[in-house]
Amino acid sequence: MKTNRWFSVFYMFVVTAFFSAIIISLSIATREKVKANETLALEKAILQVLPDLYEEGMSGAQIHQQFMDKVDQPSAATGNAWVMKKNRGYQAYAVPLAGKGFWDSIKGVIGVAEDRKTVTGIAFYEQTETPGLGAEIAKASWREQFNGKKLADGEKVLTMKRPGQPAGEHDVNAVTGATQTSVRLATIINDSVKQWRQKLNP
Amino acid sequence: MSIDAQIGQALTVCVAAVFTQNILLSYFLGLCPFLAVSREVKAANGLGVAVIFVMTCTCALNWMVYHWILVPMHLEFFRFIIFIIVIAAFVQFVEMVIERYSQRLYQTLGIFLPLITVNCAILGACLFMIIRDYSLIVTVGYGLGSGIGWYLAIIAMAGIRQRLNNDVVPRGLQGPGITLIIAGLMALAFIGFTGVMQ
Amino acid sequence: MTKLKELVKEGLWKNNPVFRQVLGICSTLAVTNLVLNTLVMCTALIFTLAFSAVSVSLLRNFTPRNIRMMVETLIIAFYVIIVDVALKAYWPEMSRNLGPYVGLIITNCIVMGRCEACAKNCQVGVAALDGFFNAVGYSFVLLIIASFREVLGMGSFLGMPVPYFSTPLWDKWIIMVMPPGAFFMLAFVVWIMREIQFRIEEKQK
Repeated sequence: MKTNRWFSVFYMFVVTAFFSAIIISLSIATREKVKANETLALEKAILQVLPDLYEEGMSGAQIHQQFMDKVDQPSAATGNAWVMKKNRGYQAYAVPLAGKGFWDSIKGVIGVAEDRKTVTGIAFYEQTETPGLGAEIAKASWREQFNGKKLADGEKVLTMKRPGQPAGEHDVNAVTGATQTSVRLATIINDSVKQWRQKLNP
Repeated sequence: MSIDAQIGQALTVCVAAVFTQNILLSYFLGLCPFLAVSREVKAANGLGVAVIFVMTCTCALNWMVYHWILVPMHLEFFRFIIFIIVIAAFVQFVEMVIERYSQRLYQTLGIFLPLITVNCAILGACLFMIIRDYSLIVTVGYGLGSGIGWYLAIIAMAGIRQRLNNDVVPRGLQGPGITLIIAGLMALAFIGFTGVMQ
Repeated sequence: MTKLKELVKEGLWKNNPVFRQVLGICSTLAVTNLVLNTLVMCTALIFTLAFSAVSVSLLRNFTPRNIRMMVETLIIAFYVIIVDVALKAYWPEMSRNLGPYVGLIITNCIVMGRCEACAKNCQVGVAALDGFFNAVGYSFVLLIIASFREVLGMGSFLGMPVPYFSTPLWDKWIIMVMPPGAFFMLAFVVWIMREIQFRIEEKQK
């Protein structure tokens, strides 16, 4: 069998090119669908945090329709958040959250009411935390505790407390066993909301 | 970020990677060689040192490949394959160099090198440094810290297992069984570190 | 036919990847806290291992010896990425759950281990069956572990609540959901399986 150095390099090159070509074509073929899925996840998350816009079991088409009807795109006036319009002014904001979790990035939205203090909900459209632990943040049962909390002024917008401890109106309880994810999520929320506030009041 | 700030961050990241975010005991990467080679301290030492070296160098190499080749060509999604190829090629290269220049080193270390190619910890560290957007200096610190953390875990395990040689272990638990239990206890202990650093 | 039976017995029991070869542990720990995730990942692994073994075996006479590990890794990565791309497009929910683990299959020592031990030396048919049954052997042990972890740790099975364990009467063992619980559970399974194997061997003597 040849153990010629140049043949090895050539062989490696050919094999890499062959398999890569297949992967690239498959990626291109599914790119539309993947993008559509991602957009849908984003729209669903935004609907979930704005009051009374989302119901269980809505189909993809219904979600998209609802999104187009009721939600406005981000602009400088809203600090780059999506908004639900009212006759005058804005009824609620969906502030984007983005940052690094335990494994990979976490992306979501946090809903803030007209007073810019009360939280109307939180939802994630991208996270790859540990299932059963960090990924519990995506479950409705954990996210419900955010409804009605108030964002504090100053550095710490929301404080992450240990599970079981009493949580005031500026606190939320972490996920049991997922300290790293919970702590990082708190940082993400604080940073993202601070950024939003800065954009609103430059 | 200035060079000073980067070095500062590199040190923080390095220490964090050894204790609070130990790539083996907190992220559970690199377990197969950990379970297989931790029977005696000498072998564990050899493998651990090799891992430190390979991890630091390949993290730096992959950083350069990613930021100077993949990103400008919009091929970021290829990073899995490219990183693995870089790691495998680097290990192959190191093996050739060691074989050429030091027969003695090759005898002690050589057999471990192929084992390192499939060590998920190395690929994991490379992927993490991309996700966390570290600069090159910080990446070197991170690779070094992760390697040292892995080394720490395997040496501790080897030390414990050597002590166990004098004790009676049920036959079904001998070997991998008891190692897993010890690993579980070590992992529990390291969870205690999570509150130390953000 | 006897060769087939040999392969089946080896992969599933006598040389089981988890409790005999002790390979592929990283993925085991990470994924077994939910039965559904384990099912999907094991299916992905069976697919990857079988096809990789076939590909490595097909190329075994052409691949130069000194780059064979790189080529094997490339082939394994290829099949894993195919699975990842397919999931992202057609089952995004599951793709999101499996995110970190897809990469873990690439470096899963079982796949590389079987390629080195069997596929690179054997014919296509043998390699395929060896790969397939090793992956199945791996899967059934993982499913056992996952069942215990999910029921004890979260009170559910496949996401559905289990009668006694999901009620407040059972104080959920969160440690079963966390990685140390996986270590202990795995050690327990290894212990039982090996003990059974020892007893069978003793009876045969």
